[in-house]
Amino acid sequence: MATVEYNRIGKSFGAVNIMRDVSFRIEEHQFVVLLGPSGCGKTTLLRMTAGLETVSEGDLMIGGKRVNDVHPRDRDIAMVFQNYALYPTMKVYDNIAFSLEVAKVQTDEIKRRVEAAAEVLNLTPYLQRYPKELSGGQRQRVAMGRAMVREPSVFLFDEPLSNLDAKLRAHMRTEIRQLHNRLKTTTIYVTHDQIEAMTMADKIVVMRAGKIEQIGSPDEVYDTPASKYVADFIGSAAINFMPGTVVTGEGQPAVDTPNGRIRVLPGAAVKPGQKVICGIRPTDAVVSDDGPIRTRALLVERMGHDVQLCTAAPAGQFLAIVDRSRPFAEGVEVRFDAAPEKVHVFDAETEMRL
Amino acid sequence: MHQSRGIRTLRTIAGWLVVGVFFFPIYFWTTVAFRNAKDIFNWPPIFVDFEPTARNFEQVFGISLGFGFGAQEAVTPGGGNFYMAPRLWDSIVIASMSTVLAIVVATLAAYCLSRMHFRGRHEFVNWVLSTRMMPPVAVAVPMFFIFKQFSLLDTYLGVILVHGLMNLPLAVLLMKSFFDDIPSEIDESALLDGASRWTIFRRIVLPMAKGGIAATAVLCFIFSWTEFLFVLTLTQTSIKTVPVVSSTFVTSIGTAWGNMAALGAAAIVPAFIVIMLVQRHLVRGLTMGSLKQ
Repeated sequence: MATVEYNRIGKSFGAVNIMRDVSFRIEEHQFVVLLGPSGCGKTTLLRMTAGLETVSEGDLMIGGKRVNDVHPRDRDIAMVFQNYALYPTMKVYDNIAFSLEVAKVQTDEIKRRVEAAAEVLNLTPYLQRYPKELSGGQRQRVAMGRAMVREPSVFLFDEPLSNLDAKLRAHMRTEIRQLHNRLKTTTIYVTHDQIEAMTMADKIVVMRAGKIEQIGSPDEVYDTPASKYVADFIGSAAINFMPGTVVTGEGQPAVDTPNGRIRVLPGAAVKPGQKVICGIRPTDAVVSDDGPIRTRALLVERMGHDVQLCTAAPAGQFLAIVDRSRPFAEGVEVRFDAAPEKVHVFDAETEMRL
Repeated sequence: MHQSRGIRTLRTIAGWLVVGVFFFPIYFWTTVAFRNAKDIFNWPPIFVDFEPTARNFEQVFGISLGFGFGAQEAVTPGGGNFYMAPRLWDSIVIASMSTVLAIVVATLAAYCLSRMHFRGRHEFVNWVLSTRMMPPVAVAVPMFFIFKQFSLLDTYLGVILVHGLMNLPLAVLLMKSFFDDIPSEIDESALLDGASRWTIFRRIVLPMAKGGIAATAVLCFIFSWTEFLFVLTLTQTSIKTVPVVSSTFVTSIGTAWGNMAALGAAAIVPAFIVIMLVQRHLVRGLTMGSLKQ
């Protein structure tokens, strides 16, 4: 177990700078997810941590030691790759045992550790098979076994679930998290899937174009997104945005938007006349007969437990997820309201939270 | 896929026609090897109905085969002018050793070119390729003088070096593309597992590239097996390969077609064996790029 610390990390490929001034700290036993769209630098940061890419600027510390110039094999880390990168010419047993063999561990000790890892990952019946004879989920587990067996101080995962189908992905998600709960190894997990981030992480690092946009617990990034970008990225049904101008009405600040006057929290750091963007999550929209947001239902999608309403509002499409007790029909008017504390307000210029 | 009977028959016929076109010359050439001189240029040609003889083979290999197709004269002991068995051995030695040379060097070079980032890597690849753009005949004479200086004329080593080196550019580029097809994450994964570059190459990458190596080896072997120009210029009397000695059957008193065919037919065998040995890997090797794992 070790801490990992990024201190003003920068990365350039030739003259092209793709990352600058990235600083944060990962505590022992923490499960940290680097989240962002492709090209945001999250995989590069992970590969720098592994030592597969050089660090152009700043200090990378693992376990309190600067490792910028330490060879990957001496960093005491293990990595699971997106395409698993199993050794196709070796059986599962040898795949898992490889790192121990290279480290010249005693044969019976190797056997003991490989079998223990296989036991944990339910791979025991497959040890004598070749990777090509396994399913996607099993390959994924072999990749994890290979990382586990070394008992490293940091685990690195690079989008390990993106090659699996949706059901298996959900299953492996819980398995990885349970494994972490058991082993408590410091883990850095890269993904572009916000659901993975929300469900697995102790701490989420949202990245955008080589910079950190927000660091926080899943609840923090969901409830108080630091920017419009984070608000947009987190949450499975996309948040509704509407531009507007701040007004003071009835002693409480509100925002005049094409969708009507939306009340915001009295504490919000807004000035009358300021141009802002309001964000309301589909789950926070409440059907209310005198609500300010007047929409026309375009599509009623029944999702079992609740209903997703895709509606047309003056500011564009408005999405709401509401419970199914009320019947909705396409074409009818539906009015929505939102509690002031659920309305996210961002500066129109900087797109930062107010 | 559903096909009507007619189409299927047509496909079968077309398939056999193609096989026939490729197989007929080999068949005819082989039968020529078993004919007496008078039966070779008959008109209309005969394909099956001739009086078979092993005489051509006996002369070429300097042995009495012991099974006679009719009465035979005794073969000159130690071989006459057409005694070519040692030349077949020369061909085997040169083709296999030059293939080994080319494969060993090319595999190492290709792995570096595929995996290691160093200044001028792309230029290096282009330069490797450019050496194949020169017609070999342009360097044949200079090579002769260089080899003379180094006393490499008329030696196995000399011809093996030339064939090996001539195969290198193609072998390097081929092997590089095979290595490029192996995801670099596999190397990286092994690197994190603590393996050295050499261990990764030997234990992980090389076994994965077996198909590519087999395919490249076959090409190198066949090249050396059939190469004519450099063997002609760089050897004199002590060694010669099959293509060059084949030309010596054309003599002032006529061409010994039967003996030439006998040597040619015999020369198919070693190349055929090599291809059979690596065939299992060959098909996989040639299609490896298309199989994503």
